[in-house]
Amino acid sequence: MYRTAAKRLLGGGGAFTATRLLRFPKLRSTIIPSSYSSGLCTSSIGGNAESPMGGNQSVNPNQSDHTASSSSSTSTEEGPRRDENRKPRAEFQEEQARVLSASLRHVPRLGWTEEAMMAGSRDVGVSPSIVGSFSRKEAALVEFFMDECLQLLMDKIDSGLDLQNLIPSARIAKLIRIRLEMQVPYMSKWPQALSIQAHPLNVAASFKQRAMLVDEIWHAVGDGASDLDWYVKRTILGGVYSTTEIYMLTDDSLEHRDTWAFLDDRVKDAFDLKKSIQEAKYFAQDIGAGVGKSVQGLMNGVMQTMSRRSGGSTF
Amino acid sequence: MALRSVSRRLGSRILNHRSFVASLHSHATSFGFQEVKEEDKSKLVGNVFTNVASSYDIMNDVMSGGLHRLWKERLVGKLSPFAGMKHLDVAGGTGDVAFRIYDAIYSVKRRALQKVDEASLEETQIYVCDINPNMLNVGKQRAAERGLRDNKSLVWVEGNAEALSFDNNSMDGYTIAFGIRNVTHIEKALAEAYRVLKRGGRFLCLELSHVDIPIFKNLYDLYSFQVIPHLGELIAGDKESYQYLVESVRRFPPQEKFASMIADAGFEKVEYENLVGGVVAIHSGIKL
Repeated sequence: MYRTAAKRLLGGGGAFTATRLLRFPKLRSTIIPSSYSSGLCTSSIGGNAESPMGGNQSVNPNQSDHTASSSSSTSTEEGPRRDENRKPRAEFQEEQARVLSASLRHVPRLGWTEEAMMAGSRDVGVSPSIVGSFSRKEAALVEFFMDECLQLLMDKIDSGLDLQNLIPSARIAKLIRIRLEMQVPYMSKWPQALSIQAHPLNVAASFKQRAMLVDEIWHAVGDGASDLDWYVKRTILGGVYSTTEIYMLTDDSLEHRDTWAFLDDRVKDAFDLKKSIQEAKYFAQDIGAGVGKSVQGLMNGVMQTMSRRSGGSTF
Repeated sequence: MALRSVSRRLGSRILNHRSFVASLHSHATSFGFQEVKEEDKSKLVGNVFTNVASSYDIMNDVMSGGLHRLWKERLVGKLSPFAGMKHLDVAGGTGDVAFRIYDAIYSVKRRALQKVDEASLEETQIYVCDINPNMLNVGKQRAAERGLRDNKSLVWVEGNAEALSFDNNSMDGYTIAFGIRNVTHIEKALAEAYRVLKRGGRFLCLELSHVDIPIFKNLYDLYSFQVIPHLGELIAGDKESYQYLVESVRRFPPQEKFASMIADAGFEKVEYENLVGGVVAIHSGIKL
């Protein structure tokens, strides 16, 4: 569901943002006023000359910058005329992505911090001041990494993993393993990333990213024959993923063997849980059927007695 | 429905454009509610600040009830200063913003929390530029009081916001707090800001702005026009300067217009944040 929603956002992007931005073809930059509280909540979308969705199409819709914002925006009269004379300007989103991407190299040494981002910005050739403008600074880096990993996972799935020969539980285990292995280079600093994600300001975004990840995994596994609810499936998989992730933090075994064993056990538990829930359901249905039959019999008896008593009056 | 809203927007855009252009010209020739010649405006503004320099800080405290400190804190917080940065504070005569940036970078607590390279700390340069030497002198005095008289990181420069003496692409940050209102040609100041900033550098402007909230607006107008000039008379002994001050606030472009002017100068990710319902607004942009 998230994947189709994502495709819809990326593909039909123009139509979607048109309702938010107002349909001005050459929107050079959009300015969005913030709320009146002296809290945070400033957000805007840097535009470019060519199209309203030009830069956004290359960006995952989950970018932290695309948080809900009031929809009024303005553009200048001079903007459209001037743009033809000016060379195209770097999109802020692209620039941010470049800086964050370069920052990841510094994370194992400096952690998920502003220092890492400033080092990354220096690598790209941009003043470290730009880091000051990222919303929820460290969270921007962590969320960027999560998005990248999801994208990598999706690419790996699309480029053909051998999933057909495996039973569903093995497929899930394989996918989770692939995803968790992407975090191995950052393992020493991953607890910091988790604590950043757990911060109240960042919980909403990180929850959404994990939901997308879990949805993607189920999508790749192919929702097999199962009677469980959509939400229950994703919740259980989310639980399996999170517990494995946390187990991995303290795993010193060679190539994280213990983690994969732990993962297999959890997946098995989840499927056993599914079986036991199914059994419980059948059991309940049987009981219900039995009870229902006896109640029905009782009601019929009552009705007949009443009709006999009232002398066979029509009803 | 959508068509109507688009056409209404277009109509108001054209209207905005005409009044926008008119207000730009009017800013250059307006001295508060008076009309003056363009050449004269900077001299008149200069006189105002020469007169108020010595009681500038006290008057700020009294007029804003001490809130201006919080506003400047917020400005510096948004800037996120870092060790080794080259920062330019324009129209920062008495040094309020500059001192806060200095403290943010050099505070021992901050240095303990983050691994700060001592060498980069040495490279930090905070330039305070002001057109009025009297304001700069007050600032230098305050620096001396803090023990920063000979500190190499703070540099006091006399200069004009419309024609800065700094090189292209030399600054990581540019702030202007309560100063852009007094500039004759706002677009020139913005263009200069764009010129001196490095790629990725940020522009931040703290300025008194327009209030739209119905009843609050009336109270604010009452306070501005009835109370402030008399306070000026009482404390600074100068009613006209403070009359100019409140009038110039009304003449300054509103938040959206100013934001579009900043975008016109070439800045990306232009946004603004209203404080106290619009009494003050912090505009920001990035040079890319």
